[in-house]
Amino acid sequence: MSTLANQLVKAEKEELSRAIRVLLGRPLVSLHTDPEDFDLIRRRHQALARWFDYYCGWRLLVEPRLGYARLVKVRETADPSRPARRRRSTRAPFDRRRYTLLCLIAGEALAAPVTTIGMLAQRVVQAAAADEHIPGFDPVRGDERAAFADALRLLEHYGAVTAVDGATDSYVDSAEAKVLYRVDTTRLLRLLAAPVAPSAVAESSDDPVAWPDLRDLTVERRYGSAAAPGFADGASETQRNLWARHSLLRRLLDDPVVYRADMTAAQLAYAGSLTGRQILRRAAEEAGFELEERAEGYLLIDPDALASDGKFPDEGAHAKVAALLLLDVLAASSGTRAFNGLVEESGRLLERFPRWARAYQSDGGAGRLTDDAVAVLCDFGLARHSGGATGSVQLLPAALRYTVDREET
Amino acid sequence: MAPPRIPAEMFQFTTTERSDLHTAVMYAFGDANERLETFLTFDQVRERLRAIGWYAPLDDAGLNRTLGQLVQWKLLDVVQNHAGAYATAEEYERKNLQYSLTRRGEAAFAGVQHALTVLESSGALQTAVLDAIADRLGELDTLLGTADAAMNRRIFTTLQELEGHLDALRNNTKQFNGELQRLMRAEGADLATFHEVKSATIVYLQEFVINLDSRAEAVRAVLAQVELRGVSVLHQRALIGAELPPSPGADPAVPWLTARRAKWDGLRLWFLPEGDGVPRVRQLHDVARRAIVSLLQVLDRITESRRRSSSAAADFRALARWFANAPSEQDAHRLWGTAFGLAPARHAHLAHEDAELIPTGAPWAEAAPVHVSAHLRTSGRTEHIGRTAKVRDVAAVRAARRERARRERAELETAWRRLSTGGRVKLSAFGTLEHDTFRRLLDLLGRALAARPDASGLRRAVTTDGRIEVMLWPAPDGPGVELHTVRGRFTTPDYPVEIRFVGGGPAAAREASRA
Repeated sequence: MSTLANQLVKAEKEELSRAIRVLLGRPLVSLHTDPEDFDLIRRRHQALARWFDYYCGWRLLVEPRLGYARLVKVRETADPSRPARRRRSTRAPFDRRRYTLLCLIAGEALAAPVTTIGMLAQRVVQAAAADEHIPGFDPVRGDERAAFADALRLLEHYGAVTAVDGATDSYVDSAEAKVLYRVDTTRLLRLLAAPVAPSAVAESSDDPVAWPDLRDLTVERRYGSAAAPGFADGASETQRNLWARHSLLRRLLDDPVVYRADMTAAQLAYAGSLTGRQILRRAAEEAGFELEERAEGYLLIDPDALASDGKFPDEGAHAKVAALLLLDVLAASSGTRAFNGLVEESGRLLERFPRWARAYQSDGGAGRLTDDAVAVLCDFGLARHSGGATGSVQLLPAALRYTVDREET
Repeated sequence: MAPPRIPAEMFQFTTTERSDLHTAVMYAFGDANERLETFLTFDQVRERLRAIGWYAPLDDAGLNRTLGQLVQWKLLDVVQNHAGAYATAEEYERKNLQYSLTRRGEAAFAGVQHALTVLESSGALQTAVLDAIADRLGELDTLLGTADAAMNRRIFTTLQELEGHLDALRNNTKQFNGELQRLMRAEGADLATFHEVKSATIVYLQEFVINLDSRAEAVRAVLAQVELRGVSVLHQRALIGAELPPSPGADPAVPWLTARRAKWDGLRLWFLPEGDGVPRVRQLHDVARRAIVSLLQVLDRITESRRRSSSAAADFRALARWFANAPSEQDAHRLWGTAFGLAPARHAHLAHEDAELIPTGAPWAEAAPVHVSAHLRTSGRTEHIGRTAKVRDVAAVRAARRERARRERAELETAWRRLSTGGRVKLSAFGTLEHDTFRRLLDLLGRALAARPDASGLRRAVTTDGRIEVMLWPAPDGPGVELHTVRGRFTTPDYPVEIRFVGGGPAAAREASRA
């Protein structure tokens, strides 16, 4: 009896931790793409919602009948290395054009619950034409249609629109393609996560295209002025505490490494306090992470790689293997090297791994390989690149956890 | 059975460009018909048109054309009246023509009116209809009880009323359902209206559900009674009462009886189905209940989308503008991450075999690195048999832990041995200490200071394993003392202190632990 009860408690904990990491990895889990994960989240809905609300103040919305769960991730500082990606084998990141079309389509799709690709494209043409700040959309051009289809396919992936008949990709070949869509308006609205409406931010500025301060989009009233640096005096003790906990855990749960050097005074104080330490540990443990706490900062280890868009080290891409080898080179030379010096190293790597030929052997291949490899290191919080081919690359402390085994001293 | 054919041009007056005028004229005739005026002259038509609210200018030629058109469609008949008294030729021309609705015209008018009624009516689930059905059935029961042939007519009319009510019940339910579906699809319905309709509907549905069961039961009981008296008897007597007009050819009684039987079957289906079937009246419950639930859901959805959708389109447009004018692709990605929050997390996936071996707070440079497949470095690939490596080698981990514990223990013993005072000494006697030994000393002093002093001010404490006892006497007044280690100085009052092993020296303890 007690064994059974123990087993159940254990299973429950495992389910919870798995569901938390799944949601961190994919903030929108749909029944139509991941039936099992969705089912798991549906079962543990309440506990999950409490967990996310307590530790990081993120809302979790589960719609059992509509078939999706959405973790509304709010981040003050978004990482540019995690863009929207095309739903194609290249997984290339979206460009400005695709982002723009995605937003235009979303705005136009709100109008009618059922539509076709032709009507949608027509409406986007009109919407783009009506706005002097948006370049016109011309469905006659093949590259424009491809961008349009990419944006639409991402919306399909999120379940905001569903192709009832026909396939979106046929539009790439011909503007005459017939595809029928059903629009899920609510889900479309839920794609937006910023707590402040973008239109409100846009209206408060004189210039409609002035680049917004992204922090304006993420102001949350419940923290009062605690979140604004320098204005913390106006916030209550509770608000300050809440903000310190939420902001710290948001970063820790989302980013590969959180360095003390990048933390604010309030966050450092919280992480150093007895309660703060306990909460960090408990959050990591309940979510199935291992917390690595070092003098320079914190990182979470997800052994199953559920809550991660990529792995490092990994054999999955040549750039990743090169990144590991360059990391060794950097570690051996006291952590900093000029970018150009690394290009030479990459050249040697290309000689060692003739299999990488196809992607990198052509002109400037070593340069491109170095670019990609350094980007991998930067994306995982292991290095900093001062920019450009003339700049230098500096290893960050956490990189040392991947160096070649040192002799035990 | 072939679908019925509608005579050509019957409803054409509703579809042409001038359908407004045509319909108005038809209404004028319909209106006259109700007042039992069988025909209208040209002037009368004009008068009626004004009476039913047609004020648009209309010249004589236009009206003439319209009337002519309707005649051509065989909706109106025109006759010349030579009997009238006419004073002038003009009067004769205007008044000698008399128009009246043809049979087809009457039908077309009725059809249009019916269509409009259906369009305007909203369905309803009516308890009154259920009551009426029960009443009529009761009446039939009483009527069948008497053999009086004079009652046959009453039986006929009552049966017709009963069938009428059944039709109403069926239509209303159907319409109500349709209405509900339309209500839920309504995209443009404004919230206030919807709220009103919704609350009214829910109150209505609740009232309906409350007494549905008892009413249905009443109908069932009386229906069973009538059946006991014989349905065929009922129909026969009703047939006599109906006094069907004779018609050439087939006997009209046969189709008439078939129709009655079909209706009766329908009645049974609603209230008293054969076998295990569920009476359809029971489904009304479900309909009502479902309606309440769906209405509430729709309301939720509308409220939600109302809250944001007006601004949502604007939000998406603002974002589109920003994206189109982003200073760099990097900024666009950042905006994507902030506005949509759909970006995945990113984490390390390689862990230490035994993280407990590394003290928290040590710099990364001092902590041992995690194990990265050596194969990955040499060949660019991880060993694929490595999948099983996920199960940690517990034996190795244990051995490592044991070794570490042993080492720590040895260090501790050494430190304690150095600290063992062999009697009461002053702290100043320690002089210079190794850092590790000093940490142990601090630990022991801390324990002693945490203990409550006895009457003489002596504090006593033992380590958790009970091996070392430390005694601390109050410090005499005077200047403190400095203890030196390689890493710094420690200033403290010069406490007299005794540190000793309990129950023998370290050698004895080693033997004890071995035993």
